[in-house]
Amino acid sequence: LSASAIKRRRKWDIGKLIYMDNIEPKECISRWKGEDEEDDKDESDIEDEDSDFFTKKNGITAQGTDYTADLEKFVPYFEKLDTLAKKWSNFDAINDRFIGSPLKKVTQ
Amino acid sequence: MSTAKKSPYVLFQGSQNFRLRIVLATLSGKPIKIEKIRSADLNPGLKDYEISFLRLMEAVTNGAQIEISYTGTTVIYRPGIIIGGSHTHNCPPSKPVGYFVEPLLYLAPFSKKKFSIILRGITASHNDAGIEAIKWGLLPILEKFGVRECALHTLKRGSPPLGGGEVHLVVDTLISQPLTIHELERPHISAIKGVAYSTRVSPSLVNRMIDGAKKVLKGASCEVNITADVWRGENSGKSPGWGVTLIGETKKGWCYFAEEIGDPGAIPEEVGETVAYHLLEEISQSGAIGRTQLPLAITFMVIGKEDIGRLRISRDEVDERFVVLLRDIKKIFGTEAYLKEVDDGNSHDDDFIVTIKGNGFTNANKKIA
Repeated sequence: LSASAIKRRRKWDIGKLIYMDNIEPKECISRWKGEDEEDDKDESDIEDEDSDFFTKKNGITAQGTDYTADLEKFVPYFEKLDTLAKKWSNFDAINDRFIGSPLKKVTQ
Repeated sequence: MSTAKKSPYVLFQGSQNFRLRIVLATLSGKPIKIEKIRSADLNPGLKDYEISFLRLMEAVTNGAQIEISYTGTTVIYRPGIIIGGSHTHNCPPSKPVGYFVEPLLYLAPFSKKKFSIILRGITASHNDAGIEAIKWGLLPILEKFGVRECALHTLKRGSPPLGGGEVHLVVDTLISQPLTIHELERPHISAIKGVAYSTRVSPSLVNRMIDGAKKVLKGASCEVNITADVWRGENSGKSPGWGVTLIGETKKGWCYFAEEIGDPGAIPEEVGETVAYHLLEEISQSGAIGRTQLPLAITFMVIGKEDIGRLRISRDEVDERFVVLLRDIKKIFGTEAYLKEVDDGNSHDDDFIVTIKGNGFTNANKKIA
């Protein structure tokens, strides 16, 4: 599986990853997130050659086990209570989401 | 790819997204085949609530054909025409009414007759939509797409495990297709409201939940208003129970919500706090709408007019659930969504705009009329 090591350095376009049926949803997200730090700009390099490459892997469709990829469960995933409590000890992160809080000026 | 083309059915595998797949098949009129439903499980095949859901689909449509294999691991579903009408559905104790109401919301506006459906059973759970989540969380989404007259009336509450609740879903708006939406901003929250309810327990629990939630939300720069809703007597079902739903309201009509119910032995303040934190988390992770509202909104964008609809979502909302949603939609409708980065120089400029061209779906019943 040395191929996966090469792939890791690729810059993934999530819009394309979503529709690559041979890549599991979980894998899609992790590949896309894995590349996050490098900041994404060009996404043109994932073209036909790659999709060819991946079709060689057996066409897997996620089999039941993965609960996070199942819309049958209505309530989404949340962190544990104490993690959330720590995170939300103040409202700084979402203050701009409320009416009446100072807004950054809209350009454009 | 090649096998799916030859089959007369759109082929799926596994038990995930079961209701969504049935709903999408019904909207598109395409027959689907779902294989390998829990085939590796100790109890393979469809669960009782899934069968119950299929029965409900049979009731609200005309001409649907359902074939289930002996082992229950394969289902062939040939959708009929959505006719709606008045029905009563007794939900099995394994799933709350929200499980059944949620998929009905996708179909009801495109029906021949108005939907008026009474559902009996449990009205709350940890994993499925509660009454308030539907009423304050999902119906506003329908409204944005042009379905204004829809309501979910709570006739009786019924907490798990015994239930005994009863809700009435009424959808009076019949449209031929949903409106095209353009939401390019993250809307601002103008107020936080909520409902804390209890059945067959002391009303003090409700107040303690409210206290817990308010303690967390006191830093919010908007009004926080949580209503106590105590149910007594025969309308309060067969089991004691309590829970709270919080909604972040915006002036534009979008909203964010979170809900939770209390288990026996749980501390009410803690449940209130949990829901408050969940609401904050949901707000921080959401673009124009919350994660739980995305499937409904995206589906309505897909079946909209042949025009391009746009919706702002956050980076966090692009998760596995989003991927499976878009894949299932593509499989049935052939429609792809495009994600465009926002990059407008403001905060949250790593958001995406989901762009979907409606497939020009028209309510078959409207066409004749």
